[in-house]
Amino acid sequence: MTFLRRLAKDPFGIVIFIALFLFIIGPMISVVLWAFSIQWRYPSLLPTEWGLKFWAQTFKRADILQALPLTLMISFIVTIVSAIICLPAAYAFARIKFRGSQFFLLSFLATNAFPRFGLYITIAVIFLKLNLISTILGVVLIQLVNTLLFMIWIPTAAFKGVDKSLEEAALDVGASRFRVFWQITLPQVIPAISAALLLTFVGTFYETQGAILIGLPGIRTMPVLMLSLINNQLVVQYGAILSLTLWIPSLILLLFARRVLSGKTLAAGFGV
Amino acid sequence: MASLTFNHLNKQFGSVKAVDNLNFEVKNGEFICLLGPSGCGKSTALRMIAGFEEPSSGDILMDGKSIIALPPNKRPTAMVFQKYTLWPHMTVYKNIAFGLQLRGLEKKVVEDKVHSALDLVGLKGYEKRLPAQLSGGQQQRVAIARALVLEPQILLLDEPFSSLDAHLRVRLREELKSIQRSLGITTIFVTHDQEEALSLADRIAVMSSGQVEQYDSPDIIYAKPSSLFVAGFIGSMTLLEAENKGSELKLGNYTLPSSEIVKGKDVKVALRPEDILLADANGWAAKVSQVMNLGPFYSLVLAIEGLGSVKALFPKTSLLKEHDQINVLPNRYLIYHEDGVEEITL
Repeated sequence: MTFLRRLAKDPFGIVIFIALFLFIIGPMISVVLWAFSIQWRYPSLLPTEWGLKFWAQTFKRADILQALPLTLMISFIVTIVSAIICLPAAYAFARIKFRGSQFFLLSFLATNAFPRFGLYITIAVIFLKLNLISTILGVVLIQLVNTLLFMIWIPTAAFKGVDKSLEEAALDVGASRFRVFWQITLPQVIPAISAALLLTFVGTFYETQGAILIGLPGIRTMPVLMLSLINNQLVVQYGAILSLTLWIPSLILLLFARRVLSGKTLAAGFGV
Repeated sequence: MASLTFNHLNKQFGSVKAVDNLNFEVKNGEFICLLGPSGCGKSTALRMIAGFEEPSSGDILMDGKSIIALPPNKRPTAMVFQKYTLWPHMTVYKNIAFGLQLRGLEKKVVEDKVHSALDLVGLKGYEKRLPAQLSGGQQQRVAIARALVLEPQILLLDEPFSSLDAHLRVRLREELKSIQRSLGITTIFVTHDQEEALSLADRIAVMSSGQVEQYDSPDIIYAKPSSLFVAGFIGSMTLLEAENKGSELKLGNYTLPSSEIVKGKDVKVALRPEDILLADANGWAAKVSQVMNLGPFYSLVLAIEGLGSVKALFPKTSLLKEHDQINVLPNRYLIYHEDGVEEITL
């Protein structure tokens, strides 16, 4: 209530608030309404017929039944492979001093800093020669590129955040290097690493550019399918229901990440 | 329990000599303080004993056997760190039991040892707490218990009380000393606090830029610092310029007896405040320029013409006030000259 009261004193604020509300929440409301409507014709403001008819229809579609397990599988594979590659690298960045480590760490930003499509097209040309187009392996490889940044940065920051004297104290009481890592270092970074895993999983789940360019026509992931359902379907509900369902993973991420991740954890990786 | 010997120990970081030819011995059961300003190499020396730093050259012997080839987890030393380095995800019990469990001891034995260790540091009943639920002093007690429970040959402490407040520091100091005495464990304690070193140690190694300036009992270090550096670092000391005239020293308008051992023309006379006594009219004429109440004593700053400011310590019964005119004379002083230091008692 205090928020609204404060807003009432500031007419300019009200205008901005309403504009933002319409801009952000408006489309979401429209999607939700479409998902639960059976009939919605111009010029009525609300759907003229409500119901869950299209939910049943959507999840009976052969393409969706095929895409959902496929997308989950690809996301799992990408997350696990990314973890296997990136976590040891993150530990090395955090604990071993080597020439140019800061440069290498920043270089992972490169894939995110430039238009990705150009990079993908170059890769697609190579993949075409290697017969990787339209294969699961091809999609997994292209999506791995996206995951490197977070999968290295977040754990690097977390490993750097672990006080070295905690590890020394464990060595001092007789623990082996491996045991120190396993029982002292790792438990401190588990929250950050699970955040990175989740971020990677969800990010891969929603990825479209690489999936379209490398995956089509054989591999069709959920978000790619959603795009085609939104673009080419007379029935608006399919797209609406699908996008509503696809919100679930990012919602989980949001709830989790708020608890674990802060700007501080990321900044710590650069010793800020 | 063990003895420890540093044998020409050196540690170089790049072009900086952190530890420069360390050569001294710690006897079995002795309590040693490494004392010096920050950056003097005292912590590096300690970390070399624990195995966290590798010596550039030289050797560390424990009971006559070299230990420098052993990794830190194989050395019979236990360390208490400056920051309370308790493992935050483990309870107090688990923190202390960790090292014992690594040694494959039976559950019952571990339990008994943890309980008696906690008892020793006065934290019975805190087993289930997490480190974050303890105060700084309690955390450092747990860290001490964690080190002692392993029954190490040598206990190492790296400025363990420096982040605690003054009261707690004094209390933990007393507790540590009595624990050390009852266990008879060889202990090496690093500190920059001269008061801490004087009150704890059997012997103090005063260090400066990587070298040991003096290695002696607190009494000797206090009474007869071997160099001007030690004199300036330990306790309060007044240094006066003097001219060597053979059998006597000339200080401004006054003279003091000297010794034929004293070499060179320009020497320095060092005076402890408690060695300045009231004298008759033949003494130095002094004006009380500052009085500080230290509880049982007055700490005075005396302005003496031709000599400068001299610090003195008088009992409260002297009833001195600022601007009082008195006469004083030292009954003991040190002369720092070219060849070392000479103590004169009148």
